[in-house]
Amino acid sequence: MAAHEILAATNAVVTLDVAIPGTVWPWLVTVNMWAKSIGTGVIFMLFLLLKKYPDQAGQLRFPVTVVSIIFIHIFLLFTLADLHQPWRMWHIFFHPHWSSAITVGAWMATLFVGLLFLLAFLSFIKKDNAAFDKTLPWVVALAVPVTLYTAALMSQCTARELWQMPAESAQMVFAALLAGSAFMILVFGGKLSWEANRSLSNILALSAFMAFVLYMSEYVFGPMKAEELAAVLEYIKGDGPYTVQFWLGQWMAYLLPMLLIVFSRVSKSTSILKLAAILALVGLYLVKNVWLMIPQLLPMS
Amino acid sequence: MQLGFLVDLHLCMGCKGCEIACKVENEVPLSTWRLRVKYVDVGTFPETKRTFTPLRCNHCENAPCERICPVSALHYLENGIVNIDKERCIGCAGCVMACPYGAIYIDPQTQTADKCTYCAHRIASSMMPACVVACPVQANIFGDLDDATSNISKYIQTNQGNIQVRKPEKGTNPHHYYVNGGNVTLNPLASHRVDGHSLFGKITTLPVGGHH
Repeated sequence: MAAHEILAATNAVVTLDVAIPGTVWPWLVTVNMWAKSIGTGVIFMLFLLLKKYPDQAGQLRFPVTVVSIIFIHIFLLFTLADLHQPWRMWHIFFHPHWSSAITVGAWMATLFVGLLFLLAFLSFIKKDNAAFDKTLPWVVALAVPVTLYTAALMSQCTARELWQMPAESAQMVFAALLAGSAFMILVFGGKLSWEANRSLSNILALSAFMAFVLYMSEYVFGPMKAEELAAVLEYIKGDGPYTVQFWLGQWMAYLLPMLLIVFSRVSKSTSILKLAAILALVGLYLVKNVWLMIPQLLPMS
Repeated sequence: MQLGFLVDLHLCMGCKGCEIACKVENEVPLSTWRLRVKYVDVGTFPETKRTFTPLRCNHCENAPCERICPVSALHYLENGIVNIDKERCIGCAGCVMACPYGAIYIDPQTQTADKCTYCAHRIASSMMPACVVACPVQANIFGDLDDATSNISKYIQTNQGNIQVRKPEKGTNPHHYYVNGGNVTLNPLASHRVDGHSLFGKITTLPVGGHH
């Protein structure tokens, strides 16, 4: 039975209760997820380019590592900024609770940062490309769980039915692939051949398509499964408070980039690809923000 | 020992004595609540009735807040209480997001998570929780669930078939029970929340922290 049908049946009205808590995890967490997607995504793309186009991608070893370091630090900075007691962050390392995805994620992200600095050292100080290429697969391997841990954290939020682990983990991977490919096209596309740009755009289009399919599946079929999910998705339907942002995000992150990539095939235009990349990066922020906010609007008691 | 709570909703008359006792005992800051009584009106005038539901931490056996806490600030005591160490809490609000009962809040004064602890400090001194003492009709029944002779165990035995917990589908195994509860009292999705129908209707959100 859908939520509105229950309401009609009970004809019950809450007449005295405390106000619903405001947004507990605010936009700072959206930036956290968005920046992490870029920070890990560009590493995935560097690995791919070094395999497929080693001649062109060789020059990108250090700059891409720096980009990853910057965005992973933005991710860490916003994680810290979201804490109500940021000066106690060290408790995670000295009083770790290993059942928490936050703890595991913090340790993995720290190790990831260490490996990124090692890559920077190997490429910029030692200028040892062979050592860089030997280390990179380990960094890529660690980037996967660093990307995924936020999905585990969201799934540990028992109160938020919308965030289910299989779907969220897939969305995190697609977000990293989308953000990584978009960022590479936007910033480093000029240094790469059309073929390399086309490979990146294929990843962008495919990850956009898969993410869009997942969101639409949740949108259409989610309410058929759970009363709570139906109530949450009402916030992005009709004149819901996040309807406009949700569809704006879907168009900007997924639909328009896919269309633009198809157009770019005809004209072989890297400018169109760059536009698709900008839209994807901005749209991804909107999509992540909506999905973070809407479960928090639901009264828990 | 496994401490638990039971509220007989048939007895509760919504006086909010428990709320106030909790506030005073635990120095709960303004705009935040460890325990509160929700009023829900049912029916259409003149065939209406009002229900009262005291809501507090459920001290779950499988507590999502304890699992998600990155620093073990939320932890189990030997008597089953899910306690909080506010000195250790980093204020990530993971527990607030994880609790399906909305029982945890960020204390605006300490900027750390806080919630009902079944008055763990009073229990340690062999006293009853403040809300139990304050209740004029003994609607709040507290005791050891492992002791078959305790009041709460006897109450559960007497009312078998009429015992409810909130959101059993979440798999949290709450140690907080209700007698004479129902969909309207225990399911938040079964009631309208209309602006202007609440005493606090003009307060649309609670301040959950200083920097948001």
